[in-house]
Amino acid sequence: MSQRITRAQIPLEELTLVPGSACQGCGAALASRLTFKALGPNIIRHGIPCCPDAVTKHPRAGAVFEGGGASLTGTARGLKAIGRTDVKAVGFFGDGGVYDIGFQGLSAAAERNENILVICKDNEAYMNTGNQRSSGTPKYAETSTNPIGPKSRGKETQKKNVPMIFAAHYVPYIATASVAFPEDLIAKVKYARDIEGFRMVIIQSPCPVGWNFDSAKTIEVARTGVQSGIWPLYEIEHGTSFKLNYKPKELKPVVEYLKPQRRFRHMTEAEVNEIQTYVTERWQKLIKADEVHQVVI
Amino acid sequence: MSYEVMVGNKACATGVKLARVKVASAFPITPQTTITEYLSDMYAAGEFDFDFVNVEGELTSQVVVQAATAVGARSFTCTSGPGLLYMHHPMQETASKRLPLVMAVVHRGVKGMQPDHSDLMSQQWQGWIHLYVENAQEILDTCVMAYKIAEDKRIRLPVAFGYDGYVLSYTAEPVEIPAQEEVDKFLPPYKPMPSILPDEADPATFGRGFGDADPQKPWQVHHEAALMAEPVIKEVFAEWAKKFGRSYGNGMIDPYRIDDAEAVLTAMGTIAGSAMSAVDKLRADGKKVGLVKIRSFLPFPRNDFREIAKRIGAFGIIDRSCQPGMGGPTWHQMRSTLYGQPGPQILGFYAGLGGKEVRVDDIVKIGEKTLKAAKGQKVEPLVEWV
Amino acid sequence: MIEIRLHGRGGQGAVTASRILATAAYEEGKYSQAIPMYGTERRGAPLTAYVRIDEKRVRERELVHTPDYSLCMDPLLSMQQAVADSVKPGGVVLLNSPMKPEDSLLAGDIKIATVDATSIALETLGRPITNTAILGAFVKVTGVLKVESINKAILKYYPGRVGEMNIAAVKKSYELVKGPVQAKVKEAPKIKVDLNVGGYGVLKDVSSWRVFTPKVDEAKCTGCKTCWIFCPENAFEWGEDKKPHMVSRVCKGCGVCANECPVKAIEMVRVEI
Repeated sequence: MSQRITRAQIPLEELTLVPGSACQGCGAALASRLTFKALGPNIIRHGIPCCPDAVTKHPRAGAVFEGGGASLTGTARGLKAIGRTDVKAVGFFGDGGVYDIGFQGLSAAAERNENILVICKDNEAYMNTGNQRSSGTPKYAETSTNPIGPKSRGKETQKKNVPMIFAAHYVPYIATASVAFPEDLIAKVKYARDIEGFRMVIIQSPCPVGWNFDSAKTIEVARTGVQSGIWPLYEIEHGTSFKLNYKPKELKPVVEYLKPQRRFRHMTEAEVNEIQTYVTERWQKLIKADEVHQVVI
Repeated sequence: MSYEVMVGNKACATGVKLARVKVASAFPITPQTTITEYLSDMYAAGEFDFDFVNVEGELTSQVVVQAATAVGARSFTCTSGPGLLYMHHPMQETASKRLPLVMAVVHRGVKGMQPDHSDLMSQQWQGWIHLYVENAQEILDTCVMAYKIAEDKRIRLPVAFGYDGYVLSYTAEPVEIPAQEEVDKFLPPYKPMPSILPDEADPATFGRGFGDADPQKPWQVHHEAALMAEPVIKEVFAEWAKKFGRSYGNGMIDPYRIDDAEAVLTAMGTIAGSAMSAVDKLRADGKKVGLVKIRSFLPFPRNDFREIAKRIGAFGIIDRSCQPGMGGPTWHQMRSTLYGQPGPQILGFYAGLGGKEVRVDDIVKIGEKTLKAAKGQKVEPLVEWV
Repeated sequence: MIEIRLHGRGGQGAVTASRILATAAYEEGKYSQAIPMYGTERRGAPLTAYVRIDEKRVRERELVHTPDYSLCMDPLLSMQQAVADSVKPGGVVLLNSPMKPEDSLLAGDIKIATVDATSIALETLGRPITNTAILGAFVKVTGVLKVESINKAILKYYPGRVGEMNIAAVKKSYELVKGPVQAKVKEAPKIKVDLNVGGYGVLKDVSSWRVFTPKVDEAKCTGCKTCWIFCPENAFEWGEDKKPHMVSRVCKGCGVCANECPVKAIEMVRVEI
């Protein structure tokens, strides 16, 4: 599991080239900045179609949208073949490229335990093309392909549990992270960087445009997401060892997370309660797993 | 130098080994499957130093070898029919990124499982170089030469070479295997251009900035590079012939008994082999028919055909594929190549589509019809389904 | 044919404005076309739209390179010479600005008109969305279309009470627009600045994205680095003095730093026009 660090230990060196072309207040841009602080140099960064979060001081390999897992595999195998395993293959993909169109290729790469690091900046929809729903969109969120109307209450199903799915490939390391908890994020990325095999860190990255909130609130939204149990922070190794990183005495009510985001503004009290129940029950399972340091998947 | 009686797919795997490929990745599909097995055997036995990546689908295999090539490892993949179609999306990037990948396409028509050329023909727009191969020896030799062509600094484009499934992939023939040291002298190690390793990559490329560069320019550059493949192909095949004593015409075409021919047939792949026997039969009968085996379809051997056209009365073009609503690709290319110069009749023949068996006697009839046209007699139809 | 260029910011409704103009033209029996410059849309980033109006069907689709009129919806962008670039000689440039047209520094053989559309919008709509508020001023100074046509078009996009409020904004800007007057400086500067800063990659300068700018009260600042760590663009240089220093060309004015500062030492202040 990762080693905790303090704010003072966050590396000062910046590896992003600024200003980038992200929107004001972009959560993914911050996710990129923090991740690459933790990764350092000597990386070939892989990109697929995605929101333009940030450009970094690393050479970039691109691939087709569905080819994230495949291009990381090819680079890692190629580096090994030419005797350059000092260089690391890292992917920085969105939820589209990880949860949906790129899912097959990543699952296969995980099953083969390729020596690659995948960072997923999860902004919970296909934001680059204008906020269309993905399997990472939470239930009841409004998107451009799940608009609210007499026949639709927003996204119909719960967010796909990608961290657990990839943990069920029994890979060395899966972790969730948040831009509101930079010390935790950097500790996890650093840890992942230094071990071998398939590693994935999924970072919830609030999007002021798509989630429809004032750009100044990006970190606040992310923080409330963690504090309400909507986006729990945990680590899983080899699909068995489990650690819950952030355990408040009491979870904040989910309504504090949902209210500031206009993508949820149509929700009824019953729908909010449904989400509360879902989150509370899931949290209790995570607490139990944390007590025995094990998940069963 | 040694030899072995081996099937086409094994000749391919042997070529991959001789070319010192470092990363290979493929997904099994009939009739390519045994290549994946030969390579896996070679990997498990430690027969040569490479990595074989078993993937979950063809699209992934194309991206894997594309990425490995980009980072500096000579790579290989292979597929057939629908598998090639599944790779269609990333295949375009391999060429746009000027990556010298080599891919074997073991022909399987897209409408079934038996061989025809619709798989590789359907990918004409991808910006790759397309070669067609007729026998097992040619498979091994072409596989090695393909890397030299692809990696040539003037080209830096991926090469696909196709050969017919079943009749070639699974049929055994004697194949001479050149010595590794000799192949090493012919094919130097691969260095990517440009490098994307962090300590070698140009930092100016990290910004991925946008300028107001002419968006048409990449197409123009790509088109010209593909056309440039013709002189390079000729050079590489000439060098191979000199070194290993086996020639395949000038690399673009391999002519057979065309010197005094009145009619010339064209064919690609295994049909060309049968066509040589048909030509011998016709010649024994006093009929002056010859054959041009087309080896490079893309770029098309325009210069060679413009020369040959000056001396003959008719071409009989055999196409093993048909673009619905448009027709045979070779037939179209020939007519466009010869437009503007007075010359031979151009007859078209669809043969072998869907894996339909093409016999020597079928081709003899094609030769007789083409000869009739060459002598100025009226023949109908101009395009026929054999 | 009349060609119009509209300038705005992502989220201000410039594209809708272009379509309202095109609709108004069609209401008058004319043909029209509205082209957005898509692909560069990022919240806060400048963007451009184009309109063509003609007596016969508009067939060409190239961008408008030499507009008869240019219209800028954003008060900060109205300070940028780029909104006046390539306007046909004698053309009118209409700016959303509280300035008098005589005080504008835009140069060229152009006539300048101004209207404080932001204030009008705040007054009539309660929000600083200026895309309809500016259209009244536009038809007044150009005479291109009738204000009744604009109103008809608005009701197609904003029916009911919202539409009526927008029509009130149109009426006010029609009455309050000042100018046009000939630009003082005749020679437009040679170096052209591309306002369409979007796409993918590293940009040169995003200071034009800021409507609000962070101001650090160094006396209150405790040097905790919260602003530095949470800035998505790394716009704070961390000085030897252990205080954050904002780099103007990098800061987009998102406000995260001010929101997160635990001692409220950062304030987002409106950018001076």
